[in-house]
Amino acid sequence: MSIKECQGQSIVSLRNVTKSFQGRKVIDDVSLDVVCGETFVIMGCSGSGKSTLLRHMTGAICPDEGSVLIKDKNIADISYNELDEVKKTFGMSFQYSALLDSLTVEENVALPLREHTKLADEIIEIIIKMKLSLVGMRGFEHYYPSEISGGMRKRVSLARAIALDPDIVFYDEPTSGLDPVVGGITDKLIKDLSVKLMITSVVVTHDMHSVFKIADRIAMIHEGRIIEIGTPDEIKNSQNPFVHQFINGNPDGPINLFEEQGEPEQEAVL
Amino acid sequence: MISYLGRFFIEHTLWLKGVINLFIDILYWTFIGPFLGKFSRRESIFHQMIFVGICSIVIVFFVDLFTGIVLAMQSAYILEKMGAKLYVASLVSVSLCRELGPVLTALVVAGRAGSAIAAELGTMKVTEQIEALETMAINPVRFLAVPRFLALVIMLPALTVLGDLAGIFGGFLIGTRSMNINPDLYMQIAFKYLELKDINTGLLKAFVFGIIIALVACYEGLNTKGGAEGVGRATTRSVVISFILIIAADCFLTAIFYFS
Repeated sequence: MSIKECQGQSIVSLRNVTKSFQGRKVIDDVSLDVVCGETFVIMGCSGSGKSTLLRHMTGAICPDEGSVLIKDKNIADISYNELDEVKKTFGMSFQYSALLDSLTVEENVALPLREHTKLADEIIEIIIKMKLSLVGMRGFEHYYPSEISGGMRKRVSLARAIALDPDIVFYDEPTSGLDPVVGGITDKLIKDLSVKLMITSVVVTHDMHSVFKIADRIAMIHEGRIIEIGTPDEIKNSQNPFVHQFINGNPDGPINLFEEQGEPEQEAVL
Repeated sequence: MISYLGRFFIEHTLWLKGVINLFIDILYWTFIGPFLGKFSRRESIFHQMIFVGICSIVIVFFVDLFTGIVLAMQSAYILEKMGAKLYVASLVSVSLCRELGPVLTALVVAGRAGSAIAAELGTMKVTEQIEALETMAINPVRFLAVPRFLALVIMLPALTVLGDLAGIFGGFLIGTRSMNINPDLYMQIAFKYLELKDINTGLLKAFVFGIIIALVACYEGLNTKGGAEGVGRATTRSVVISFILIIAADCFLTAIFYFS
């Protein structure tokens, strides 16, 4: 499905997704739609369930209840081979880049191409050069991940994510651990890829500078529930006290991290 | 006590089930995958064969050489009293080829390559590299476990042959230098009682030990939980479990060959 065909339609849909780990509900009845071509940001505090939500969208975690639809296919309920076919239509940029240590930058980006296409090595080399140019990493082809900086690794991870020209790219904390300049470059890169390659982007982050720069729509998640969805302006002007506290970074407000420790630890302190 | 035993039983049953599932997966991707156009990368298999096999040659050579020397000296102590010191040669060669060669080589490889495989895969697991492969629709068992499995089941018998030769050479050194046995006679006696069956028995054992080391190391690595501590735990478990299973399998296989 090309971007023109799917314009305005939902490309990723979550319907009443619920997930528990060891009896603790991490995702609680979440429903949302990501529209084709947009940059959709999921924001929330650490431990709010945003990365878990992203892993549901990539098929890494199966929901206990509900469905995850990618291009109208419920990836929670399809065969292994069908899921593989869906996975080839999206890419993911990981929080800690997750490049294979034993492969060079070039081999990392080439990996999905060598595994899933029958392209000749010369063509693959050209594609790698193109993708590395897009993320500003030309000239580092023969370096190993351990020989480049964290920001560079994230950019290579992004080049690998877009190697197969995916329709959707998932970003897990793309700017965490980066200095403001590299963070700004990464934001611009996400926006550029979205516009130039017409990619739908789903970004999980708690970096507020980044959120308002890149987002077309924002969802705020708290304790596993979506508490607000809207455009950046709607979120900025939201009257929801949770959203207000989060975007302003106030230590006082309804989001109280000390209350979330639960009774067993309080008893231990007493 | 009962709850402890129950938990112990359940945990080990689940572990065994996981290892068997991994074995089935590896067999699927080794024999059926290629017909579906899903090959394991040849370079990766060769790379692992070099790491598991070629890089272990020196340590296997010395371990088996010294074992051959010790075995020759210990058996000479008894055989000399019986006036049969010439038979040190055949005792060393038969016991090395049937028993000590495969077991010692497997223990050395489990300690050197098995632990490295568990640590590498464990680190890949905790740094999201395995998840990244899955997200790219690349099966981690096909991509990571199959090359290591093939490398071990091919290279361990090859290393065992080398180990057997090193051990026989160790016995030869003691027999000819210290016990003054004629070198030609020593070699003649060494191979006189050594049948092809003895060598095949040893190679079959090495093949089974290769499977054990690969399965345990890959399973522990791919199922690592936690950070650095988890990787350390997976590595230790891989070595300890491989050692126990190698000795147990050796006991079982020896019994089969002995009674059949």
